[in-house]
Amino acid sequence: MPNIVVCFKWVIDEAYIRRGSSGELDFSSVSYKISDYDRNAIEEAVRLRNESGGRVAAVTVGSPEATKGLKDALSRGPDQAYFINDASFENIEPSQTSAILADVIGSKIEYDLIICGEGSSDLYTQQVGPRLAERLGIPCISFVLKLTIDGNHIIAERKVEDGVEVTAAPMPVLVTVLPDINTPRIPGVKDTLMASKKEVVNIAKDDLAQTYEPTLQTTAMTAASMERRCVKFGAEPGDIAGFVEALEKEGVLR
Amino acid sequence: MAGAWIIADNREQTLELLTIGRELATTMGTKLTALLWQDQELADDYISHGADEILLLPPLPEDQPPGAYIPVIADEAQKKDPDIILMASTVRGKEMAARIATRLNTGLCSNCIALNLGEDGKTVEMERLVFGGTAVQKVTCTVRPAMATIPLKTFEPAVKQEGRQGDIRELPAPAPSPVKILERKPRETEAKDISESRIVVCVGRGIEKEEDLALARKLAHALGGEIGCTRPISEENHWLPEELCIGISGISVKPDLYIGLGISGQVQHVTGIRDAKVICAVNTDENAPIFAAADYGIVGNLYDVVPKLIEAFKT
Ligand SMILES: Cc1cc2nc3c(=O)[nH]c(=O)nc-3n(C[C@H](O)[C@H](O)[C@H](O)COP(=O)(O)OP(=O)(O)OC[C@H]3O[C@@H](n4cnc5c(N)ncnc54)[C@H](O)[C@@H]3O)c2cc1C
Repeated sequence: MPNIVVCFKWVIDEAYIRRGSSGELDFSSVSYKISDYDRNAIEEAVRLRNESGGRVAAVTVGSPEATKGLKDALSRGPDQAYFINDASFENIEPSQTSAILADVIGSKIEYDLIICGEGSSDLYTQQVGPRLAERLGIPCISFVLKLTIDGNHIIAERKVEDGVEVTAAPMPVLVTVLPDINTPRIPGVKDTLMASKKEVVNIAKDDLAQTYEPTLQTTAMTAASMERRCVKFGAEPGDIAGFVEALEKEGVLR
Repeated sequence: MAGAWIIADNREQTLELLTIGRELATTMGTKLTALLWQDQELADDYISHGADEILLLPPLPEDQPPGAYIPVIADEAQKKDPDIILMASTVRGKEMAARIATRLNTGLCSNCIALNLGEDGKTVEMERLVFGGTAVQKVTCTVRPAMATIPLKTFEPAVKQEGRQGDIRELPAPAPSPVKILERKPRETEAKDISESRIVVCVGRGIEKEEDLALARKLAHALGGEIGCTRPISEENHWLPEELCIGISGISVKPDLYIGLGISGQVQHVTGIRDAKVICAVNTDENAPIFAAADYGIVGNLYDVVPKLIEAFKT
């Protein structure tokens, strides 16, 4: 029965980021969410456990404020969570996140299969999964749309530019999953209640083997701008005519 | 030691990277090295397109993924200490880049859309989109080598120059990867490239059934345009091929006219239409974010509005 580890990130919901008057990012009214494709990762971990038995541990690295995310993650079915937190983990880069995850997973958690989302919805660097595999020295299969456990092997269908590759690797192995792989559940009230009874292992910065320094420096971060006319029409005949006329005036119809 | 390296899955991508690689190598006064493992005949071709040196990797057995080369590439990079490594931002390239960067303990700018050499002639400032395209982030790498993955079509392909000379060196064969490819299922249909289309009609989840795509096709036909889609349509419903998915994880389009049907207008999608001249949208929800990103919007049911538009555009 496989021990499955699933990694997730608690991120700013980008839909609430505003553009400030001088082009800076305004985070004053943001809320947070579990990164979209990490929900697929959690769902897949739980699906495989329900099929093959074993356990699912959900792991996240973040600032201490991310506790809400733990409850959300656990309400999606994992048995246990590991919360690696420190105020300084708020804005770390993928090389650090993956190193911290490898430090903890490698020394404290039993694993046969590690599942990550394809990329996080905030930075979307798509690096943490492959970097974590490399740190742990285990095989990596990225961008997977179908996953099966076959004895001590993982069979994964991987989406590449020229089609689909069916690949196999001996466990332990790390996979990153695409949103195609499943439809994540929407947790109900009962799931949320159950989640609060599950074990959360807190891991502090001091519990890590070492500190991990950044390798990138952000020199600028500006809101992307898009100025549009924002004219709205209804669906009455007069509106349709007005709409078509506007496009004719723009000279974009041939 | 120094140098600029480029690594890509095929010739098309390599030629694009040779363009930016050549530019950087020339300004930095260093050598441009291209890695090659696919068709070994291409070595001279790459040299004539701007490479100074080719590192040849021996062909892999049929069941081996290119990820098998990672240890060999990382070892060579450790020995030669290049200033920068640029890789194609493809599925295989993105995974390989992240793993090579880990072995080299360095930083990687994923999906880098612009690169500029700083005034010191050494530091490369790299640009990428974050928060689904809400913001542009600029980064520099504080460790050697700087690394970036570059999406297709970011740079024009390099042009051939007569009489260029270069070295070809062979790298050792890698140990087999534990990941084996059991089967390759080629993609069934080649999709259209709509990145240069003048008119794009794009469909989103407001379309209820696959058959209803016909309605969008009719509108595109009436306008002489092509159809595209949002990610849920290609990735979750599989109604259209993913080459038609517009947005941060799909393609970018720059038509004169874009008409979005039943699309909410999440930033990940809108990022891919930023360069459209005129953006139009049809959506039942007057508060849908797409209206803030559109020049002309119609608040209405697409099943009611689109037939009316087809009629209007016909005349
Ligand atoms: C990391 C990441 C990368 C992503 N990359 C991309 C990408 O590259 N491209 C992309 O498209 N998405 C991408 N997404 C997904 C994106 O966030 C949105 O989920 C997606 O674009 C929404 O697609 P949609 O507008 O078709 O569907 P929805 O958001 O469900 O919107 C459907 C809209 O249709 C309207 N509607 C319903 N019925 C009708 C009707 N009868 N007539 C008119 N209007 C109707 C509704 O009001 C609604 O606004 C990405 C997400 C993440 C997290």
